[in-house]
Amino acid sequence: MRHRRGTATGSAHWIVFALLLAMAVVYVFPFVLQLANSFKTDSEASLAGMSLLPDTWTTAAYRTLFTGSAFPRWFANSVIVAVAVTAGRVLFGSMAGYALARLEFHGRQAIFAFVVGVMAVPGVVLLIPKFLVIRELGLYNSYLGLIVPLLVDASGVFIMKNFFESIPRAVEEAAYVDGASVLRTYWSVVLPMARPALMSVVILSFQGSWNELSHFIVASSDPALVNLTKGVAQLVGGGLGAGNQYPLKLAAATLMTIPMAILFFVFQRRIMNASTGAVKE
Amino acid sequence: MKIKLAIAGLSVLALALGGCSDDPSGSPSNPPSATLNTNTISILIGSSGQAETDAVKKAAADWSTLSGIPTEVIVASDLNQEAAQGFASGQPADLLYVSTDSLAGWTANGSLEAYGSKLSNLSDFYPGLREAFTIDGTLIAAPKDFSTLALVINTRLWEEAGLSDADYPTTWEQLESVAAKLTTDGRVGLAFGAELQRVGVFLAQNGGSVVANGTATANSSANVAALTYVQNLVSSGSAAFAADIGAGWGGEALGKELAAMVIEGNWITGAMSSDYSDVAYKAVELPAGVQKGTLQFTNAWGLSADGDNKDNAIKLVEFLTSTDQQLAFAKAFGVMPSVISASDGYRAQFPQMSAFLLGADYAQNLPSATGVAATIVDFNSTLGQLKDSDPKALLDAFQTNLEAALG
Amino acid sequence: MSATNVTNRRRTFRKDAVGWAFVAPCVIILGVFLLIPILMAAWVSVSDWTGRGSPLASGFVGLENYESFLGKGGLPTKDFGLSIRNNAYYFVFVVPLQTVLSLGLAVLVNRKMLRAKAFFKTAFYFPSVTSTVAITTLWTFLFSATGAINAMLEKLSVDGPNWFNDPRGIFHLMLGNPSAPPGLKQSEFLGVSLWDWLSGPSVAMCAFIVMAVFTTSGTFMLLFLAALQTIGEETKEAALVDGANGWQRFWHVTLPMLRPTLFTVITLGTIGTWQVFDQIYVSGHGSPAKTTLTPAFLSYQSAFVDQQWGRGAATSFVLFAIIIVFTILQRMVTGSSDLSKEKRQRKLLRPLRWLKEKQVAS
Repeated sequence: MRHRRGTATGSAHWIVFALLLAMAVVYVFPFVLQLANSFKTDSEASLAGMSLLPDTWTTAAYRTLFTGSAFPRWFANSVIVAVAVTAGRVLFGSMAGYALARLEFHGRQAIFAFVVGVMAVPGVVLLIPKFLVIRELGLYNSYLGLIVPLLVDASGVFIMKNFFESIPRAVEEAAYVDGASVLRTYWSVVLPMARPALMSVVILSFQGSWNELSHFIVASSDPALVNLTKGVAQLVGGGLGAGNQYPLKLAAATLMTIPMAILFFVFQRRIMNASTGAVKE
Repeated sequence: MKIKLAIAGLSVLALALGGCSDDPSGSPSNPPSATLNTNTISILIGSSGQAETDAVKKAAADWSTLSGIPTEVIVASDLNQEAAQGFASGQPADLLYVSTDSLAGWTANGSLEAYGSKLSNLSDFYPGLREAFTIDGTLIAAPKDFSTLALVINTRLWEEAGLSDADYPTTWEQLESVAAKLTTDGRVGLAFGAELQRVGVFLAQNGGSVVANGTATANSSANVAALTYVQNLVSSGSAAFAADIGAGWGGEALGKELAAMVIEGNWITGAMSSDYSDVAYKAVELPAGVQKGTLQFTNAWGLSADGDNKDNAIKLVEFLTSTDQQLAFAKAFGVMPSVISASDGYRAQFPQMSAFLLGADYAQNLPSATGVAATIVDFNSTLGQLKDSDPKALLDAFQTNLEAALG
Repeated sequence: MSATNVTNRRRTFRKDAVGWAFVAPCVIILGVFLLIPILMAAWVSVSDWTGRGSPLASGFVGLENYESFLGKGGLPTKDFGLSIRNNAYYFVFVVPLQTVLSLGLAVLVNRKMLRAKAFFKTAFYFPSVTSTVAITTLWTFLFSATGAINAMLEKLSVDGPNWFNDPRGIFHLMLGNPSAPPGLKQSEFLGVSLWDWLSGPSVAMCAFIVMAVFTTSGTFMLLFLAALQTIGEETKEAALVDGANGWQRFWHVTLPMLRPTLFTVITLGTIGTWQVFDQIYVSGHGSPAKTTLTPAFLSYQSAFVDQQWGRGAATSFVLFAIIIVFTILQRMVTGSSDLSKEKRQRKLLRPLRWLKEKQVAS
């Protein structure tokens, strides 16, 4: 009896394993195809897209991107914006999170409600409004216009707030007793303790701003300020003038994915925790 | 910010280099000033491909060398969107391609400045093209070039099908039969885009039009018959819409030999020579229905009212529409000059383009009143399903929308 | 008026100042780039601004912009009707599929004896970290007429459609694509005939539906996994005592305990599926035959392309209302009756679901 049960679960185990393996192939294979086809010629990619090994290897697509398009500039802009936005979100998010979790001041509840309420508005309905304000403030077609509106993100505030609420007050209180100011305590006592939560915010912020598209569409039209998502979107959406040119598009998609992939594989565990942490109750 | 600085730096440099250029004092509306306005002139274009992009960039750079004023060519992937966003932002491109569709709206809200009367070469433009960009008697913008549609044939496939020069179709019946002969496994005889901007030639050939004298005539019996003819062509399998055979447009279908014939404009020559130089082709006049018919397209150089170097931008337009420059554009990406002074040179240099020039004699303009563009977009969105639709129903819907738009 | 009272007040003031200083950057940026924009857009939605000069100087036109696409019956109404139809089908297909798939993956990956657990988690989650732009680019390639998907279908002797160029609704196709019965053809709602309302998502939209499931199931799988891990042991004990088999255990014990997470996932899915913009911007702007047009994209297009800023802003407010209504409806359907002790805490954390959506969408 016992033995039979064992083989039954054993085979069930292998069925599950095979099923998951098949699913994993479905999830990974598209990216393999993307990479393979970016090294093909134009016609081979459109006629024999399924083959994993190009008949004629060519790096023409990558060369075109780097020498014949503004791709390097897009890449640089994406880096500039993502770094600035990440820095801002970490700093402002942790400050606000700390204040909301620890400091007692009048209006705290109101601010919390305000942050919650304003953030409840879905992003896509803000396209037109954001454009109007950026324009009124004279930030249109400037790096400030790309960066500043993204500098605060409520998920960061919440992650930090939750984190600060979960750690004991004792250490900070010791600092206060020693006569340290709030700012000093925050900077040299609280922040170092918050490293895990800060890492989560860093990852989510970088990912968020690296992958953001709609904000950049409405915040500028200057070709010098185009970032990767917008540049590639326009390239794919007709910027090539005519023809499909799949290798070129796939090469662009591959290159813009690489930084995220590196971040992902380096901080794999933390990323997966961060993304559940942002929602976890 | 850095970019702005860099541009400013470049301007200074350009000023220094171009400081000795002749003082442009030709225009009376522009009294010579002590300092040259060296604000960069940005030019927003919707390009048909690398050939056009390169040609416009080169022309702009040539002018910058002459004038000492820096220019920047921006290629839009969606010209109307990028232009409209630019206008709304208060920082539009100084010069931009303006289609007849957008002209009325952008003029009405003050985005475009009418500068036609300031052009020194005003009388050189073809009157028919000037007309297309004139509102209430005022020429808003200078026509930059024009194009017509013709039947473009892959000559190798034509010969392989046993056809000769005598077989170029001049009637709808002949078109049908050569298309059938050219159809093989994996290739259709004829391809064109599923849009009024191509299909419209059949309406014109049948004596129809979409708007006549300001009245919507989309569902006239001539149009219904013409669209039914197109439907039969497509259903027979010897013709197909470009998208249905996996091509982005007619040029790609011809270049990749997915189709033996396509209905395209003279811009196809630019793409063929840059992307598919090994495909031999010939353009002939489109066949006639009850009459000869084709469509004509033209764009203008729009001047943004909010630009900060408008007088010099007009000078740039004069340069871009000068005889030599028009011929250079014609050579680079296959457009036809919008100025009369270039017509002889064009004929001499491009005898193979005669079909397109001949079409100019009887070409129709698509309507361009405010709101009509959206109805055409909507009609185009239904054309793709022509095979499974009732042509009359599609045109009826188009008619209803047109009537609403024309008010 | 004692000295302590004054000191206290001064101390409170200092506390307030410090607290406000800490939240100030956050509040200012949110105020300037979220609150003020919403107010401005509200004004534009009832004004006749044409896209030049200051919107504040434009004229008041009442509800005209709203009427232009809700009641007038012309092209704007039809476009809006189509966008709602398209997005409604997208919502109806994506939310159940992504929920079931991510739950399934989570349950399988959570099995105690499973080897290479980390590998599977990584594989399923990876599509979620890439941008919609990159994935859409890949999708236009995979689903092209001669692309990988059709090559695969060909091996199964299925003649694949020309995905992104095929506007036929799949319900119509299932019926053999017949011509419309006159009764259904004539009656219209929002400028779209009942027959067209019943078309189902177009073939092109199906490709986007698959894409959404592909890119979101990993994230949701992680949410389910986290929940499964916290309830894992107690569940097993309870179930073993009952002697229930695997399926019964899952259905009667695990699933009810996953209810809060299920609820979160469905809410996030609902909000996310009504905000489809990036993929439409990248691929075709609503083509073929406007069957992938979504309200979010339509709002953008009305304003930034057609220069109908008032209508565009009005469309985005209607979309906002739709999202709220659907979220409330979904809450009522999936029910929050037995949320006893967690209820208050969850209420407080509700916004997180909205927030999370941002990452899911991108």
